[in-house]
Amino acid sequence: MKEREIEGAARRRKITGKWRYTWHLWVTLLLHIAAIVLFTRGFLLTRTELPHYSNSSDVSESQCLYSSSHNNTTTSSWTKPAVNRLIIIVLDALRFDFVAPSTFFPESKHWMDKLKVLKEVVSKSPTSAKIFKAIADPPTTSLQRLKGLTTGGLPTFVDVGNSFGAPAIVEDNFLNQLVQSGKKVVMMGDDTWTQLFPHHFERSYPYPSFNVKDLDTVDNGCIEHLFPSLYEDDWDVLISHFLGVDHAGHIFGVDSTQMTEKLEQYNSILEKVIEVLEKESGPGRLHENTLLVVMGDHGQTLNGDHGGGGAEEVETAIFAMSVKKPPSSVPVEYDTSSCQLDLDGKNVCVSSMQQLDFAVTMSALLGIPFPYGSIGQVNPELYALGAGSWNLDVSQQLSESDIWIQNYANILCINSWQVKRYIDAYSASSAVGFSSDDLSRVASVYAQAENHWLRSTKKLQLDKKDIDALVPALKKQIESYFNFLRTVAELARSKWTEFDLRMMGAGIAIMSISLMFQVLAILRANSQDGATLASSGYAWFFSASASAFFLLGMRAVSFLSNSFILEEGKVANFLLSTSGIVALRKSVVKGKLLKESVGFLLLSTFCRFGIEIGLSKQASTSAFMKEYTSWILNIASGLAVWNHAAEVVPILVLIILAFWLYKATSDIFFGWPRKIVVVCTILSYMLIIVHWITENNRYILAFMPESIGRIYIPRIVYAILLGQLLLLVFAQLFKGNSSDCKTNLVVKTTAMLSAWSSTVILLSGKQGPMVAFASIVGGYCIMRLCDIEDDAKNGPQRRLSIGPFPVMQWNLFATCLFFCSGHWCAFDGLHYGAAFIGFEEFMLVPQAIILTLDTYGFSIILPVFGLPFLVAMKYKADLGKHVLFTQLSQMYTTYGLITAIMTTFTIYCVTMHRRHLMVWGLFAPKFVFDVFGLLLTDVLICLASLYYFDQGKDGHNHN
Amino acid sequence: MDRRKKREKTTVTKPSTVDAPLPPKISPSEAFIVTLSSVLGLGLAFYVANSGFSIDLVTDPSRTIFFIWLVELPIVILLYSRYRQNPRQCMCLVFVCHVQYLRAVGRGLLAVPIGALLNCLGAIALGAPVTFQFLPKTVNWSLMMSLFTTVPASCVLGSSWAHWKRIFAQTQPNGSVEYLICLPAHGAVIGGWFGAWPMPLDWERPWQEWPICVSYGAIGGYMVGLVASCVFVLARARSQHVKQT
Repeated sequence: MKEREIEGAARRRKITGKWRYTWHLWVTLLLHIAAIVLFTRGFLLTRTELPHYSNSSDVSESQCLYSSSHNNTTTSSWTKPAVNRLIIIVLDALRFDFVAPSTFFPESKHWMDKLKVLKEVVSKSPTSAKIFKAIADPPTTSLQRLKGLTTGGLPTFVDVGNSFGAPAIVEDNFLNQLVQSGKKVVMMGDDTWTQLFPHHFERSYPYPSFNVKDLDTVDNGCIEHLFPSLYEDDWDVLISHFLGVDHAGHIFGVDSTQMTEKLEQYNSILEKVIEVLEKESGPGRLHENTLLVVMGDHGQTLNGDHGGGGAEEVETAIFAMSVKKPPSSVPVEYDTSSCQLDLDGKNVCVSSMQQLDFAVTMSALLGIPFPYGSIGQVNPELYALGAGSWNLDVSQQLSESDIWIQNYANILCINSWQVKRYIDAYSASSAVGFSSDDLSRVASVYAQAENHWLRSTKKLQLDKKDIDALVPALKKQIESYFNFLRTVAELARSKWTEFDLRMMGAGIAIMSISLMFQVLAILRANSQDGATLASSGYAWFFSASASAFFLLGMRAVSFLSNSFILEEGKVANFLLSTSGIVALRKSVVKGKLLKESVGFLLLSTFCRFGIEIGLSKQASTSAFMKEYTSWILNIASGLAVWNHAAEVVPILVLIILAFWLYKATSDIFFGWPRKIVVVCTILSYMLIIVHWITENNRYILAFMPESIGRIYIPRIVYAILLGQLLLLVFAQLFKGNSSDCKTNLVVKTTAMLSAWSSTVILLSGKQGPMVAFASIVGGYCIMRLCDIEDDAKNGPQRRLSIGPFPVMQWNLFATCLFFCSGHWCAFDGLHYGAAFIGFEEFMLVPQAIILTLDTYGFSIILPVFGLPFLVAMKYKADLGKHVLFTQLSQMYTTYGLITAIMTTFTIYCVTMHRRHLMVWGLFAPKFVFDVFGLLLTDVLICLASLYYFDQGKDGHNHN
Repeated sequence: MDRRKKREKTTVTKPSTVDAPLPPKISPSEAFIVTLSSVLGLGLAFYVANSGFSIDLVTDPSRTIFFIWLVELPIVILLYSRYRQNPRQCMCLVFVCHVQYLRAVGRGLLAVPIGALLNCLGAIALGAPVTFQFLPKTVNWSLMMSLFTTVPASCVLGSSWAHWKRIFAQTQPNGSVEYLICLPAHGAVIGGWFGAWPMPLDWERPWQEWPICVSYGAIGGYMVGLVASCVFVLARARSQHVKQT
């Protein structure tokens, strides 16, 4: 009774034509877009890099009293240099408790109090040396931190404007300003610096940083070059980056003898450095006015992890010591230090600062323009250590500290002006800038400070009369600048470092709703099947697909761990082989299709080797992955035979493919537009062969200029693809001559696949034909294995619907092809070279499309468009449109559901691990790849539904 | 070729139990002895490896697995061959009985390399490493898996394709001996499959290497299978006992 009602409803809805089969696909697409947009807004913090640079002449635009106003106006500088030379010693992953005395902590651990020399210097001369607790901003990975330290900004995961692949910093930064001002920089240690600043160093001694197991190479290299350099005068800024503590933490943890040994070694190094500086500190000597800074770029947890925003990870230390003694210590208003007696009974004071303020404070001390994108404030305590910050050639009626305050107020004025300039420029040029509320708040705070400056402080300073009113006015001025800078920093932090959990939650909720919607859509289609076909409904659906659910579940759950994401290709292949074994078992039971199932198993074994070769590439290009080369296969390469084979075999395979395509299409009746499409594809294949032959100089043909082969042939292939797609759309307008719905579907699918195949093969390079061949074989096997469940004796009453198992296999196979063709889910896994096939210069839009085609060609585009084969091959007889289309739509929904479940688990994973060490190295790229893949799959499914579901007249055949 | 002929034959004569008689039923106590001796054999192998050569599965997987299959080989072949098919003629002639027993032993020995090859191919399809440094480990592991899966079946069932298909492809053991073949074999394979999952984890433990955790999984699954089959045999004997009375 109920079934009849459903059938009646279905008939009534038939008026709406093909939409009744496909509307839920569009709804799914919309739900996914909404979910992903919401989640991404909350999770992927983005920031635009501005291409602007500060110039020393810019400061005249501000209303401030910059130092040039007192000298000649031609060479204006932002601030008066307070130190002449700067030594920055970076100790990677320096925890705060490595530096601060153990009495600052509730419990004394044996890794504390190892850097004794720093405490001794601080307690001996508190005016010229200071220990700061420096708070870093997440992500606390070395690369992001170095970027933050030098630009004075808050680098996020996606800094838009990043050059393709190369990590070099393009934003304005401290080092760039040093070079602009003619200062010479020497660097030794971690090679990340030379990656970030390839052209900034006068001399550099980089050492590889990726081998975590090696505790000493980088450090020994640093020591070797540090001490001779201290006696040289050919540099202004020296940077020495030690990695031992970071590596010791990663391998052995903080609570280990290796760690204490490293810290003791550093203690002796620092002792020697300070000794040298003090020896050379006399007037006219090398280090008369040098500032020594010993700092960490981030902290680490007790296990040695870092990357997230935990207190142990963000708390690091900065020790600063001025060789030339400043006359007094910072005025008490600006002193944040707290003092404790250490174990030896000496009084040690520790202040606190934000790492964000480092770049601008150093710039102010050296008297160079502040980096354009810096949003930090000049830290008063650190600035006060510079001896030069104390004397200014104004009236000497003021006391020392009042002069300093006046000086500091002037610097803050420039500081605030520069930050305001950046905020304005950022919101003017960035697509996702700050909200107008926030902007107006910042503007009003700034206007207030600026007002006060123009009305009273500036006048009082210039007049130099009303001394009594000046100091309170200056103090008030500093207060209002502090207020402004704090507001900006808060705003920037909320925008660039904090995940918006509400947005992320909303995204996850919508994603879950979409999953339920898809499941309901499948069940609904199934119940319709129940009405029209012989099937037993839900119970059958669940029992027949237990193995598919199991595979899906294992794969989805594997995404919750970083290790399985790293080895995703192997996991997918493991499951693919398992599904092959399950299929083999079934085929043994049924006693048929043995060849296909064995073939499928063999193919998945071949895939496995392909994936391992791909993973070994990944390991060699990415330093981060170096650790995980556990199972890598070593292939004997370098034989000449291999080289020849590598050139000839792809061409041969491509010829075989073309021949096969010709044979396959000559049998079935094709309409003339589709015939043209297939012929064009064969032509494209030939062009690709010519392209490859001309690529190798040996075979170059004399009568053809090189550029034709290299540039024009790929472009012709792209043009043919466009033409083919247009032709297929055009062919849609004509009704297929054959009334046979099934043949029609096969013809359409073949035409579509052949149209895409040429471009995808071209972009994949020499491996393309092999992967294409493998995908044809694999697709054929899955197709044939589809009807393993059916028993021929069941006759017309046999079960017609296809369970999710073949679709799951199809999906797993597509995933394996992604990894087989040498891709992996990281940005260095993109084949940037493919984007330049047919293009000489960089053009964003066409090359982004080409890169997408290369990345997802075999894993999404071809599988999605090829899915109708599964349905078409299933039926020997033509059962009419309704059955076919119900099946097809169900199949597409299942495919979409599988992809969506994977993506949902990736989303759960990044939500859970958002403070994980590898979130930016591993989870976030995986998230971007998956989300992009899901949207592409959805869009393609919708397009495919437009293409494959047509309003033929044979709609009533099934009755 | 031979297999294919067999397959065709079985598809023609559908009731597969006709052409090959069922193996004998065994009493729960016998099943218990088989289980106990297999488990004790495993224990003995570990003990010998541990005390005699001071190695275990983690420190020297290759040699430890070698000990395991060396100890298990006689136990499995000699015990299971006792339950070979057609032992009825034994009643008439002791000589025939011996010959049959020896033939079953021979089949078992023959099945060792064949089963090892099958297991090895399956493992490689699923991602086992194929480099030379892993060769001895893979070979020893395959031989061990062969003893867990194919050798008992070969001793008992011989080359009857229909029985093999019923037990390994359809998982429909019929009779107490077949439980003793089917469940441990499935247990070993499924255990090994699950045992492979910790391998990619970044815990950097020595046991995550191939084939250590897979072997742990397989041995665990095998033992569970043995115990389960014992329970099944016991339960069946109980129910039949109830029926008879």
